[in-house]
Amino acid sequence: MRSTRASTGVALVVALCTALTGCGGSSNNLSGSTSSGSSSAASSSGGAGGRSLVIGSAGFTEIQLMAEMYKLLLEKAGFQPTIKVVQNREVYEPALEKGDIDVVPDYAATMTEFLNIKAHGQSAAPVATSDKDTTVAALNKLGEPLGIKALDAAEAVDQNAFAVTKAYATKNRLTRMSDLHGRSVVIAATEECPDRPFCQPGLEKTYGIKVTKVLPLGFGTAQVKSAVTSGKAQLGLVGTTDATLPDLGLVLLQDDKHLQLADNLVPVVGKDFLGDTTLASALDALAPTLTTEDLTQLNKKVDAERQKPADVAKEYLTSKGML
Amino acid sequence: MDPLAAGCLARNQWLCGEYLSSRRTDLVDALVQHLELTVVSVLIGLIVSVPLAVTARRAHLSQLLLGASTVIYTVPSIALFSLFIPYTGISAETVVVGLVLYSLTVLVRNVLAGLDAVSSEVKEAARGMGLGPTRLLLTVELPLALPATMAGLRIATVSTVALTTVGGIIGYGGLGNLIFDGLSTQFKAQVLTASLLCVVLAILADVTLQGAQRALTPWQPRGGR
Amino acid sequence: MPPMSAFGDVAAWLTDGAHWRGADGIPTRTAEHLVLSGSALAIVCVLALPLALWLGHIGKGGALAINLTNIGRAVPVFAVLVLLAIGPLGLGARSTVLALVLFGIPPVLTNAYVAVREVDADTVQAARGMGMSGWQVLRHVELPLALPLILTGVRLAAVQIIATATLGAFVLGGGLGRFINAGFGRQDQAELVSGAVLVAGLALLVEGIFEVLQRRLDPVRRAGRLSGLRV
Repeated sequence: MRSTRASTGVALVVALCTALTGCGGSSNNLSGSTSSGSSSAASSSGGAGGRSLVIGSAGFTEIQLMAEMYKLLLEKAGFQPTIKVVQNREVYEPALEKGDIDVVPDYAATMTEFLNIKAHGQSAAPVATSDKDTTVAALNKLGEPLGIKALDAAEAVDQNAFAVTKAYATKNRLTRMSDLHGRSVVIAATEECPDRPFCQPGLEKTYGIKVTKVLPLGFGTAQVKSAVTSGKAQLGLVGTTDATLPDLGLVLLQDDKHLQLADNLVPVVGKDFLGDTTLASALDALAPTLTTEDLTQLNKKVDAERQKPADVAKEYLTSKGML
Repeated sequence: MDPLAAGCLARNQWLCGEYLSSRRTDLVDALVQHLELTVVSVLIGLIVSVPLAVTARRAHLSQLLLGASTVIYTVPSIALFSLFIPYTGISAETVVVGLVLYSLTVLVRNVLAGLDAVSSEVKEAARGMGLGPTRLLLTVELPLALPATMAGLRIATVSTVALTTVGGIIGYGGLGNLIFDGLSTQFKAQVLTASLLCVVLAILADVTLQGAQRALTPWQPRGGR
Repeated sequence: MPPMSAFGDVAAWLTDGAHWRGADGIPTRTAEHLVLSGSALAIVCVLALPLALWLGHIGKGGALAINLTNIGRAVPVFAVLVLLAIGPLGLGARSTVLALVLFGIPPVLTNAYVAVREVDADTVQAARGMGMSGWQVLRHVELPLALPLILTGVRLAAVQIIATATLGAFVLGGGLGRFINAGFGRQDQAELVSGAVLVAGLALLVEGIFEVLQRRLDPVRRAGRLSGLRV
């Protein structure tokens, strides 16, 4: 107790000093929301000259893992990266354009369609396909006028998928999404699901499912899964790289009408680093290495074993000889 | 994996030593950010509230100021933080601005009450001794308003420690970041640990300020409030 | 969005007929909000008022009654909400109401206790001298005289509960917080601000109703007492 109190006292004094010296200053005086403990390693190699940059990370496992991997790779390339937690694409995409955030791990097709709708409105015809290279090309075409650019997409794909309980699937004889045609369901998904073509609009248009309610619980979060297992929702939006589903008694329904597109993991770069070849080659190194199976296993370590994303990312990159 | 062979992390238990040992740096980082946000916000609130209260009183606008503070008080914290995003972006400033406004609602009220409580006899006597309005304010009124101000400072600080958690919605909530994260991952040890640390932090801040209050106002009776 | 246009966007959002219909229309969300806050406040009053009156009447438990407010302030209601939601109660309205109850008890209890204690001792003595029983003293002397300050506590709790019920949207609790969260998640500034305006409007309305009520019920015109925040 005494030592806790003493150290809190010290922390208070330190905080006061930072506060007093930093009050009128610029934006990032207060420490960011995630660890930046290993910045000492950053000054090692040359090239990037220790340029600091901000990696955006949406608050769910897979993206956290990707962000931690980007951070490690960029540190090795001589940058000083920090990770900033951002709620979702609606928040970080404008931040990329402004240069508040410099690189984000994203899903190729979902980002492409996001930009497509942003440019051409809700009813725009989809430009993303099930092929990763044409999708990334479409992404870059849309991103160019905005000052954002995608690098090489990884082999790893995590498509959006909808999970149901085994019991519900058996009872209603469901294996494919189209088996749900004409049914009314509650879905547990992201806050932005009603706007996203792969989510509520797609379920209604492509599959003829009546979505009576969207419970806003995120993408593949523990909450989404628990809403489905507890019967609060019939469908839960998850990723195909989620390894915890069988243990929870959940099964994925087959996307037989191909609503979901090539959602390969891809780094998207913001305006200040568009032409930075050091950054590009550091992150592109990951693209051919990371497979869907790898990503599934990494997710499992965080979701089921509750290891820290940073540790899991480091262990993986080390095992691949990339650090 | 056999659940019994797994550690308390994999079993998602509320109390988990493994959590404390594996997340020590995360907890320290969150705690430091929490302290920074709180201290900066309350300090700015204090620096702003005194001249604000004094000016409003001079201009006979105290009621207006109290009314405004009531209105701010009714705006939900989550909304107040979000309202500043178009101006200050996803940054610590956004959270600080919100926290400053909330701390002002408490501080302004208490500074005003403290100034109101200075008896007119005392002020008459001071004026009789030839004190001008500025010296009267600085050497008589403000010192006599100190107990009420300090009481307000304690309330504002403790409330701010608690409110800072909501800043987690944009990633600047100190321990609140861990709570937000723990909500979506249903991480029991993380939510409980961060919540308890938050309460401990509030209590320590209160005790520290209570000590300062006693040192600054030795003429006040001790014990209780 | 350019900040200057925000006001017009909010007005447009609030007057759009589509936002006044259906399961996520303004009337439904307002009703949810009122049910959440109202049931929480009712539970708070049923639990805290009798206890506070009794403690005040017998003059015991003062330290507890007063410190409860201080302790309550130190506990982040958001943390309590999340603990309940990932704990036994699960996601939904129950966790929200319970968190709001825990949050609402301190101001009601502390103000009611102080209210009864502050009733003029001579008046109480006189009532006893007239042969009133303890119950009669409480019922006919202490309670009427303490009523304004008791109502201050209830008012404070009501306003705080309404503002805080917004957080319920994070755990599927419904209410007006849904607009704020949806607006945030979809970066729809107009929806977000509209949600905030609706909550603040509701809280101010309730504050006003209590103010009128307090004026009406105050036997000695002790109205306008705003001391709740610095008990």
